[in-house]
Amino acid sequence: MADVRFHPSGLALEVRGLKVILGDTQVLRGVDLHVPRGQIVALIGPNGSGKTTLLRCLLGLQQPAQGEVRIFGQRVTAEVLRRVGYVPQRLALDRSFVLSVREFLSLRLEQTRNWFWQQRSTLDGHLRAALPEYDLEPLLDRPVAGLSGGQLQRVLVAFSLLGKPEMLLLDEPTAGVDSPGEQSFYELISTIHRRHQMSVILVSHDLSMVYRHASRVYALNGVICCEGTPEEVMNADSLKQAYGIHVTPYHHDHGPGHHHWVNVQP
Amino acid sequence: MLTEPYMQRALLIALLLGPLCGFLGVFVTARRMAFFSDTVAHSALAGVAMGLALGWDPSWPMLGVSLVVALLILWLKEKTELLTDTIMALLMSGFMAAGVVGFSLLKGFRAELHRYLFGDILSVGPAEVWLALGIFVVVNLVLFTRLSALTLLTVQEDLAHVSGLSVRGLNFAFVILLTLVVAISIRLLGIILVTSLLVIPPATARNLASNLRQEILLSLLVGVVGGVGGVLLSYQFDLPCGPTIVLTCVALFLISLTFDQIRRALQRPVQS
Repeated sequence: MADVRFHPSGLALEVRGLKVILGDTQVLRGVDLHVPRGQIVALIGPNGSGKTTLLRCLLGLQQPAQGEVRIFGQRVTAEVLRRVGYVPQRLALDRSFVLSVREFLSLRLEQTRNWFWQQRSTLDGHLRAALPEYDLEPLLDRPVAGLSGGQLQRVLVAFSLLGKPEMLLLDEPTAGVDSPGEQSFYELISTIHRRHQMSVILVSHDLSMVYRHASRVYALNGVICCEGTPEEVMNADSLKQAYGIHVTPYHHDHGPGHHHWVNVQP
Repeated sequence: MLTEPYMQRALLIALLLGPLCGFLGVFVTARRMAFFSDTVAHSALAGVAMGLALGWDPSWPMLGVSLVVALLILWLKEKTELLTDTIMALLMSGFMAAGVVGFSLLKGFRAELHRYLFGDILSVGPAEVWLALGIFVVVNLVLFTRLSALTLLTVQEDLAHVSGLSVRGLNFAFVILLTLVVAISIRLLGIILVTSLLVIPPATARNLASNLRQEILLSLLVGVVGGVGGVLLSYQFDLPCGPTIVLTCVALFLISLTFDQIRRALQRPVQS
């Protein structure tokens, strides 16, 4: 019998009373989240607030001490994870492992799973057909371990999209990416979101980008301190609650919606 | 030389295990598991001593002890807070010490000890060739059929998990395959040198390859040339076989390194 507490029709993600204890520390102290489908949602919080632990619970990589995670109304299983694309922050890949971008992307596509035996042109044809709006041609011969931060993130997003996900989970995607790269990356995510009506859950510490691109923001610090639209959450009081510091927006001349966020005092 | 049955067996073993170690080595080194293979190999000495003490063919207890050690590493990693390096160093020294003590209690096996420490491919019997052939077929079958899964596991375990792979199952299978290959390769290179055939061919391949397919193929090739070339050279110049195989591989590595350095120098933009 279906669990009446959950409403699988409209929600991409539901988290109920999630508690996680790592060693002696209670990292998550009862997290509740209800993320509607088709939105870009940002999960923000200071270092050690439990963002990564929460993400690991969503992916079934961390078992909670208590509570429950449901994706599209179902418990996290391998079957549900097929509908999720995960974009990690980085890959701990040895630089001497010369996996090319072409080979890496081929691992995700059913038709190219036998990449070792297939012609380069065949692989390229399949990849082009699967990602028609994505210009990866210049990167295909490059080794994955030699990509810049921004290039790697684009390749990781492409890898996720090959699985035709209904939800994208991104873990601090622009950490270590320069400012123009960061801007174009978030534009790419917005385009993908618009085009595919995909749910996007973004773990980020970058308040300016979150403000501009997220439709809903959750501030985490062991529990969800506050939630709402970027405007609602990013007032100084809410952020102080989440970050334990005073943060304030300042506007500058790049046009409407261009805010920067600065830490004013500890 | 090729008409001698012992040389035919030696060449056949080199032809099977050289490329197998080269292939597996690509993933062993990328996953930083060279110390794991060293641990399994050194611990195998306890199995050899046990086999000799019981009057059995040492190959089987050696294989058994290697598998026990591999499983102990996995179990202790999961059940304790100990660092993986600590677990491996602990097991390696413990089992190796047990092997040395076992040999000291046995009389008249000094030649056997030397044979297992440094390898003696020329003393390989037909049963070991069949065992090597069996392991060659099984490991290659698994590697080629699960190549994409293994590659993704090497890229990142979390990504492999989200892509629907059983990370635990794949890691377990990889460890068992590696242990089988290491245990059987001890007869080729000996306990001390066995890891070199897992490390040097992929390192050589990396100096020349620009993608993973090339890296795997070149590593296989270096394994074949190093293994077979080493056996032939050792026969020709009456040298110990295992070390000669290692030196042949090292020579191939140095050639590839030189080639790579020249290529990089030529590609570097000229400063005006």
